[in-house]
Amino acid sequence: MRCDRSIIVAVALLMALAVSSVSVAGEPTEDIRKTTDRIIAIVTDPGLKEADKAREKSRQIRSVVDERFNWEEMSKRTLARHWKDRTQNEKEEFIDLFGKLLERTYLDKVEGYSGEKVLYVDEKVQENYAIVGVRIVTKQETEIQVDYRLQKKGEEWLVYDISIEGVSLINNYRKQFDSIMTRSSYTGLIEKLRSKVVGEN
Amino acid sequence: MGAPVRFLICLVFLLNLFLALSLAREADAGSGGIAVKSPFLAAQPEGHELIRLAYSEGQATQGGPQEDRSQPEVRGTGDDEKSQGSDPWADEAESLDSIPDPLEPMNRAFFVFNDKMYFWFLKPVGTGYKEVVPEVGRICIRNFFTNLIMPTRAISCLLQGKFEGFGIELVRCVVNSTAGFLGFQDVARDALNFQIQDEDLGQVFAFYGIGPGLYLNLPFLGPSSLRDTAGWVGELYLNPLDYMVEDFWPNVGFRSFDMLNKTSMRIGEYEALKKAALDPYVAMRDAYYQYRLNQIEK
Repeated sequence: MRCDRSIIVAVALLMALAVSSVSVAGEPTEDIRKTTDRIIAIVTDPGLKEADKAREKSRQIRSVVDERFNWEEMSKRTLARHWKDRTQNEKEEFIDLFGKLLERTYLDKVEGYSGEKVLYVDEKVQENYAIVGVRIVTKQETEIQVDYRLQKKGEEWLVYDISIEGVSLINNYRKQFDSIMTRSSYTGLIEKLRSKVVGEN
Repeated sequence: MGAPVRFLICLVFLLNLFLALSLAREADAGSGGIAVKSPFLAAQPEGHELIRLAYSEGQATQGGPQEDRSQPEVRGTGDDEKSQGSDPWADEAESLDSIPDPLEPMNRAFFVFNDKMYFWFLKPVGTGYKEVVPEVGRICIRNFFTNLIMPTRAISCLLQGKFEGFGIELVRCVVNSTAGFLGFQDVARDALNFQIQDEDLGQVFAFYGIGPGLYLNLPFLGPSSLRDTAGWVGELYLNPLDYMVEDFWPNVGFRSFDMLNKTSMRIGEYEALKKAALDPYVAMRDAYYQYRLNQIEK
């Protein structure tokens, strides 16, 4: 069974190579793989299993995620047309709050990790932008399609969006925030965001 | 006959819609119509290969000058993007278009209804069931029902001209129904790597250029669209259960069991969505829209 899978993956990799002539295990994929492996190592670390280590565990995950996620780019894309109207202070405040919300959402997802297999199936690079396609094989024998969108900053590829089954996180938040701002105002949005982040910490 | 069940489901559905419309009329006064967008404003996906096009067209009309998203032909000229080169996938990543939702007040009412329904009934029952039946068993039961509704997927493949998918579904059904012990084991996937073809009638309609119409959040069924609801009703006729279990109560029993089993495997998903969202209703509506677009594209 395991052997079977790896053959299939190998064939898929070869086919992707032949079709797109883009190396599948390119830099963006390697960067995602590095981060994912580090997070899995933290989540499965027996030394961090006890309940009283939960805070330490999430702190460690947070620091790994911080290195790979571009919170500013995410905030900018989420606010979209509302971004330009913000002052520097407002931007910084938003990045901080939204980053916290995203971190928590992401932490909740990875903390439930229980040995799911992660397959790196696709990579597209165009200039400074890349998409890394990942499949997560769950214990319930289903595959979840996860796509990371990355942008190159210096030597590193940084994540600015994650899609799960085609649902882009940033896209989803953009529509929520736009709807909230249409109903009330930017201040209203910030209040909601703050109570969400503070309220459930 | 299984027909009475179908009839009943349709009847309940229509009653709900009627109820909903009268509810919506009431709620409309309260909401002041802030949320009611014109159904013609948002980009409508126009069939399989045109979706991307329609999508980016919607972009062009909706984005406005403020967003600084350069279109592919003027790539790299936006002020912000000069140093970085522009995002080749910007049209997917920066869109604000969504599914038209003129019935938002009604949909929000049903969203609240489904929320209560989930927390007060489905979740406790599903959790209890989960405690009693081990995961292996639940996977087998899921596989059985998935195998059972093969005709929906096969015919949906066929109607879209996906002959390979049609063939895969036929082989899957034969293999799983025999070697897989009536479908309890998905041997076709495990041994032959024949994956489930995730196709339904809603996707068939989309393939022929029918847009989602408008968003519906239906009681019990959850997020859907006009198009996908029509597909769902059609699928009731493709479900072999109705032709195999013809007596009313056993039929309802099977359906409820299937639903319970599925629910038990998805406990926590809705909670996660709610926890992550600032406006769970909008979050779910958009997630449904994006999820369907993704399915249709494949």
